[in-house]
Amino acid sequence: MDRSTPTTTPPLVCWNCHERTLGTHFCSSCGKVLQVPEHSDYFAMFGLSRRLSIDATALEQRFLQLSWKLHPDNFVNTSPEERQVSLKRSSELNDAYRTLRDPVARVEYLLAIEGARKEGQTKQQAPPELLEEVFELNESLDELREAKASGGDTASLKQRLETAEKNFRGKLTALDAELQNVARAWDQSLASDGGAERDAVKSRLNDLLNRRSYLRNLLLNVQKELL
Amino acid sequence: MGRIVGIDLGTTNSLVAYLDPQTGTPKCIPGPSGSTLCPSVVSLDPDGSIIVGEPACRRLLTQPERTIYSVKRLMGRGPADVQGELKLFPFRIDPSSNHVIRVQFGDKAFTPPEISSFILRELKNWAEAYFGEVVDRAVITVPAYFNDAQRQATKDAGKLAGVEVLRLVNEPTAAALAYGLHEKQRGKVAVYDLGGGTFDISVLKLISTGEGDIYQVLSTNGDTHLGGDDIDNLLQAFVHEEILQTDRIDFSPHGELAQELRKELIALKHKLSEAESATLRFPLPSGKPFVHEFTRGALEALIRPVVDRTMAPVKQALADAQLKPTEMDEVVLVGGATRTPLIRRTVQEYFDRKPHTELNPDEVVALGAAVQANILDRGVQNMLLLDVTPLSLGIETYGGAVARAISRNSTIPASAQELYTTGVDNQTGIEIHVLQGERELAKDCRSLARFTLRVPPAPAGLPRIEVKFLIDANGILQVSAKDIRTGAEHSIEVQPSYGLADHDIERMLEESIEYAEQDFAARQVIEARTEAESVLSATAKALAHRNASNLSAPERTGIDRSVAALEEAVRGTDYKRIRQQIDELNHATEHLAELLMNSVLETALEGRKIAEV
Repeated sequence: MDRSTPTTTPPLVCWNCHERTLGTHFCSSCGKVLQVPEHSDYFAMFGLSRRLSIDATALEQRFLQLSWKLHPDNFVNTSPEERQVSLKRSSELNDAYRTLRDPVARVEYLLAIEGARKEGQTKQQAPPELLEEVFELNESLDELREAKASGGDTASLKQRLETAEKNFRGKLTALDAELQNVARAWDQSLASDGGAERDAVKSRLNDLLNRRSYLRNLLLNVQKELL
Repeated sequence: MGRIVGIDLGTTNSLVAYLDPQTGTPKCIPGPSGSTLCPSVVSLDPDGSIIVGEPACRRLLTQPERTIYSVKRLMGRGPADVQGELKLFPFRIDPSSNHVIRVQFGDKAFTPPEISSFILRELKNWAEAYFGEVVDRAVITVPAYFNDAQRQATKDAGKLAGVEVLRLVNEPTAAALAYGLHEKQRGKVAVYDLGGGTFDISVLKLISTGEGDIYQVLSTNGDTHLGGDDIDNLLQAFVHEEILQTDRIDFSPHGELAQELRKELIALKHKLSEAESATLRFPLPSGKPFVHEFTRGALEALIRPVVDRTMAPVKQALADAQLKPTEMDEVVLVGGATRTPLIRRTVQEYFDRKPHTELNPDEVVALGAAVQANILDRGVQNMLLLDVTPLSLGIETYGGAVARAISRNSTIPASAQELYTTGVDNQTGIEIHVLQGERELAKDCRSLARFTLRVPPAPAGLPRIEVKFLIDANGILQVSAKDIRTGAEHSIEVQPSYGLADHDIERMLEESIEYAEQDFAARQVIEARTEAESVLSATAKALAHRNASNLSAPERTGIDRSVAALEEAVRGTDYKRIRQQIDELNHATEHLAELLMNSVLETALEGRKIAEV
C-alpha cells in the first residue's frame, strides 16, 4: 500500500456556514477562509504527503500562491471574526513554510506530528563516542576563560580551540549528511507497509536530532569564547 | 466611510500621502504653508491650544519649556530607558511617571502617544482640507526595528487621533514599495534608511508572479536610536566645547541659546552636503560672535562614528539573508540624513553599486505608505507585501534564561505554541514573562508583557495549557491560551510592560475629544469666515453695479439687513451661525445675481452687435 498520498485532515465544519467542508483553505460551500483545524498538518497545507524530500522551488511557489489568497491584506474590510480566522490561517501558512523549507526543522516537525520526537533526558550529556573529545574541549574552554580573567596568554589556547572547533564542525557536517540519508530511508519506508521499519527510522532520526542539537550547542559555546 | 491615507510619522518631519486614482501614483499632501513636511514639533499654548508643525518650531525658540521635538524617541519606552536621551534632548519628564513616560508642558503633562496623536491629527486636517472629505483610516509607518511596545504606542497614537490604523508598515519596506512602483525594480534590494532618529536596513526580494508583484522582506536590522539627530548632537557638543574653551560660555541643552545654535548647525550641515566649506557665525550673549570655518572633511571626521554605527546592522541583515553585499541587485537610500555625501560614499563602497536616490528621501516613505493604504482599501490586486518581525520573541524559563519561540526575520503573521503545566498540587496560576530580543538572558532582552495563566486546581502536572503567541501583520503580539483537556479558550489580559493599558487609552480618548472639538470648531470658524468674506465682497461689488438700481426697495433692504447680520456673525466664533447667515445672504441676493447675469449677457450681445457692424 502506498502511504505517500497527501494526508487528509479530518472533515471540518466551517466557522461561518457551519457546513462540513471539503476545502483545504477556503470553505467548499460558502467560500470563506477556513479556520485552522484542531490537528493541523503543515505538509497537508501545501498538499504534500509526509515525505522529507521536498522540492524547494515548488514549495516557494506554492507558498507565494497561497500568500496571495491568505495574507491579512485580503481581509482588512471583513468582519472582526473573519479577520481573526484569516490571521490565524495566514500565520499557520508562514509557520508551515518556515518549518518545511528548513531540512532540519522539517525532520523535527515530522517526528513531532508522528509522536516520535523525544528530546530525552540526555540533552546535556555527550554522546558516548564523543565523551573524550568533549572532555578535552571543555578543559580548553575553562583554561581560556581563566587566561582571559587573569590577563594571561590566550593565543595558543585559542589556536587549540580553533582546531577543536574545526573538528566538531566536521562532525556536524557528517551528521547532517547522515540525517539526509536517514530522511531518504523514511521516504522509502512510506512506500512499504512495514510499521516496524518506519518506527526504526523515526527512532534513528530522533537520535540524530538529539546529537545534532548537542553538537550545535557545543559549537556555539566555543564560538562565544573565541569572539 | 471616509478617505484613507498613508502617514510617515517621523522623528523630525511627518508627512501624509494618498494614491491619486487618476495617475495611479502616490502623492504627498501639502499643508497650509505649501510644504509637504510637517515638522514633528508640538507646543502647548498657555491658553490650552495645541500647536503643531512650522508654528510650533518657532516656539522652540520663544517657549522651549512648552514645546517638544523628536518625541518619537520616547515612544514605547519607560522612564529608566530614556535617561541617556535626557542629557541630549530638552525633554522634561514628569517625575511621577512610572511605566509610561509623561512629558511636561508647563502645567500639563502628556504621554508620547498623545503627543504623537497631535501630529497625526494635524496631518489628518491637512488631508481633510485637501480632499474636502473626512479622513478616518490610515496606514502609518514605523521603523522596521521598532519593538512591540513602540509599535503599540504608534497604534495608540492613531486611535487617539481619531483614525483607524489599518496597518503599521515598516519604513524601509514602504520605501521599497514606492521605488518598486516607480522603477519596476526586480531582484534583491537593500534599503538603507537613516532618518532623524532611527536607522533601518532591510533586504528584500522582489518577485514577479502570475498574480502580480510580491515584495518579500528577507531580513531586517537597525537601531531605533541612531539618526540625523545624533549627527546634530555631535556637532553641537563640538561647538559647545569650542565656545567653552574660547569664550568661557557653558551651554545648557535646555536653553534657548542652545536651540538657536542647533538650528544654525543643522543649516550648516545641510550647506556642507553641497559645498566643500562653510562658516558658522553665531552671536553670543557677550555681543561677540563665535566664528568657525568648517570644511566638509572636518565635518566628516566628526560624524564618522554615526556612519560607522550603521554598518554593523547592515552586515547582520545581509548575514541573516545569507547574501553578500555584491549579490544585491539594487540599493536604495531613504531618509533625509542620507543626503550626507559621506553616507552615500560609504554605502556605495560597501555594496560596490551606486545607490538609488531618485525619489525624494524625505517623501518616499509616506509615498509607500499611500501605496499600501490603497492596497488595503481596494483589496489585494497586483501587489503584495510580505514583511518580517525584526526581533526574536522568547519566554523566560527557569534561571532567567530565554527560550526562543519565534525567531527574528520570520515572515509575519507568525505564531508559536508553548505547553504549560503546574509544578505543585492545586497551583492556580502560572507566571509567564514574554520578551523580545536576541540575548540569552531575560534581563538583557526587552520585557513585553507579564501575565498569570489561570489554572483550575488539580494535581501537579495534570493541567495542560497551550499558550499561543501570535505576531500579527503589524508586528504586534497577541496571546491566547487553551486548556488542552477541556478545549476551553482563555482570553488573556496582557498588561504591557511599557505601554498604555486599554483603560488609559479610553480615558485619553475622552480627553482628546475636547481637543478634537476645539480643533474642529476652530477650523470650521476659519473656513466659514473666509467664505463669508468672499460672499460679502461679491455682494458689495454687485450692489455697486448699475443694474443693482433695478432692485425693489424691499429687496434692497433685505440684502442690507442680511449683510449686517453676516458681518455681525463673522465677529463671533459660532461657525454654524456664520454658515446660516451666508445662506441667508445668498438667498437675499438671488434676484441681484439674476440682474447681474442679464447685464453680462447684454454686454456679450452688445459686443457681438458691434462686431457684426
